[in-house]
Amino acid sequence: MTDTITLSELADQIQETVQQEFEGRAYWVKARIMNVKKYEKNRRCYLTLEDYENGTRTAELKSVFWANTYAEIEQFEKITKQVFKDGIEITCLVKLRFHKIYGLNLDVIKIDSAHTLGVLEMERQQTLDRLVKENPASIQLFDGVYRTYNNRLQLSAVIENIALITAPHSDGQRDFLQELLKNKHGYTFSVAEFLTTIQGETAHQLIIEQLQRIEKGAVAFDAVAIVRGGGSQADFKPFDNYDLAKYIAGFPVPVFTGIGHDRNQSIADLMAREQKTPTKVAALFVEHNFLFENQLMDLKTNLFNLVNDQVQDAREKLENARRIVKLSSPQTILARGFAIVTINNKIVTDPQKIKNGSAMKTLLRNEIICSTVTKKELDEKRTEL
Amino acid sequence: MKKELNYSQAFEKLETLLSQLEDGDIQLEDLAVKIKQANEWIDTCETKLRKVDAEIKIAVNDANGAAATK
Repeated sequence: MTDTITLSELADQIQETVQQEFEGRAYWVKARIMNVKKYEKNRRCYLTLEDYENGTRTAELKSVFWANTYAEIEQFEKITKQVFKDGIEITCLVKLRFHKIYGLNLDVIKIDSAHTLGVLEMERQQTLDRLVKENPASIQLFDGVYRTYNNRLQLSAVIENIALITAPHSDGQRDFLQELLKNKHGYTFSVAEFLTTIQGETAHQLIIEQLQRIEKGAVAFDAVAIVRGGGSQADFKPFDNYDLAKYIAGFPVPVFTGIGHDRNQSIADLMAREQKTPTKVAALFVEHNFLFENQLMDLKTNLFNLVNDQVQDAREKLENARRIVKLSSPQTILARGFAIVTINNKIVTDPQKIKNGSAMKTLLRNEIICSTVTKKELDEKRTEL
Repeated sequence: MKKELNYSQAFEKLETLLSQLEDGDIQLEDLAVKIKQANEWIDTCETKLRKVDAEIKIAVNDANGAAATK
């Protein structure tokens, strides 16, 4: 009869071997996470760590975050702004453990967030390079700055009609509207809301659909605001999506982003005009209109100054004319002691016309002297008057 | 009926006359008439200038009032 042992005995041997070989040792492994099941309340997370070669799965081990390491997941999401979910690649520190009932498991002790950040950054850079390469007409890179058709569009002198893309009942929606509609200057704005989910796997496509609605609609908007605020800081992935970035870059209405994050700019931010938070986007619209009003006031002041200068100039010229006319009038001339000579009631300016015996009148300021010429002589000395 | 001159027309005539006065081109016989004419043009310009000035002041007040009540 063949020697047999019980399954428990076999399991004991495995456990002993595993303990001898792996007890007290930890390993840094690079793997893809799948089948992620988070139990936030109990602070546990079950998942599988998997490895792939040329698309084929080459290894898979069940893994778990216990309550004492669950914070690693939260820390990971905080640092990378990336939701801990199926499909992402992580580097983590694990310990091997064998349980006679539950089998072989990896206990995850630590996640190397920096590694994931590096992977994300590399993917992000690849997307940016592709955007520039495949869309040279609408996206260019100059001195590290992305110049797009959209972010170079001239803004309306006054921003009045705004299309708002945001999640319904979100903090972003509330903050944006509050800042805009209760602005201290009392400016009025018309805001059309295009509400959609802006997180999750399909968010980039949903945002594109809203942009398409805006583009096809009858309203000529002055600006589009894409805002997101509050809630989880994780999952900015939709805003690093190639299709959304490309759509924004070529969009015919200036797009402003306020998607509430403090790490590097998302790719959508780089294609549009970034303001970090919904409140800041709204504040910028108010400020833009305030600057325009100020410019208008300056123009008005300059205009009135110019007009006043012109009136003043005309007044001075008129005063000067009045003075010259007054100085030239016969009354002024007579008042200065000059006289006007008339013969037969005609003014005589040519002395040749005055003959000896002529009856002439000499007009002085207040009197007329009637006389007869008895003698004429040349003013040899040319008396200077 | 004689058409009333506008400011520019009146001032242009006035300037021509002033230049003649300064150059001594006006015969003494014509002087009194010309001076009377000049005074009429000055009055025309003065009246129009006052009117423009008053209108500007109203416009400024209106604009400031509109800004204040905005």
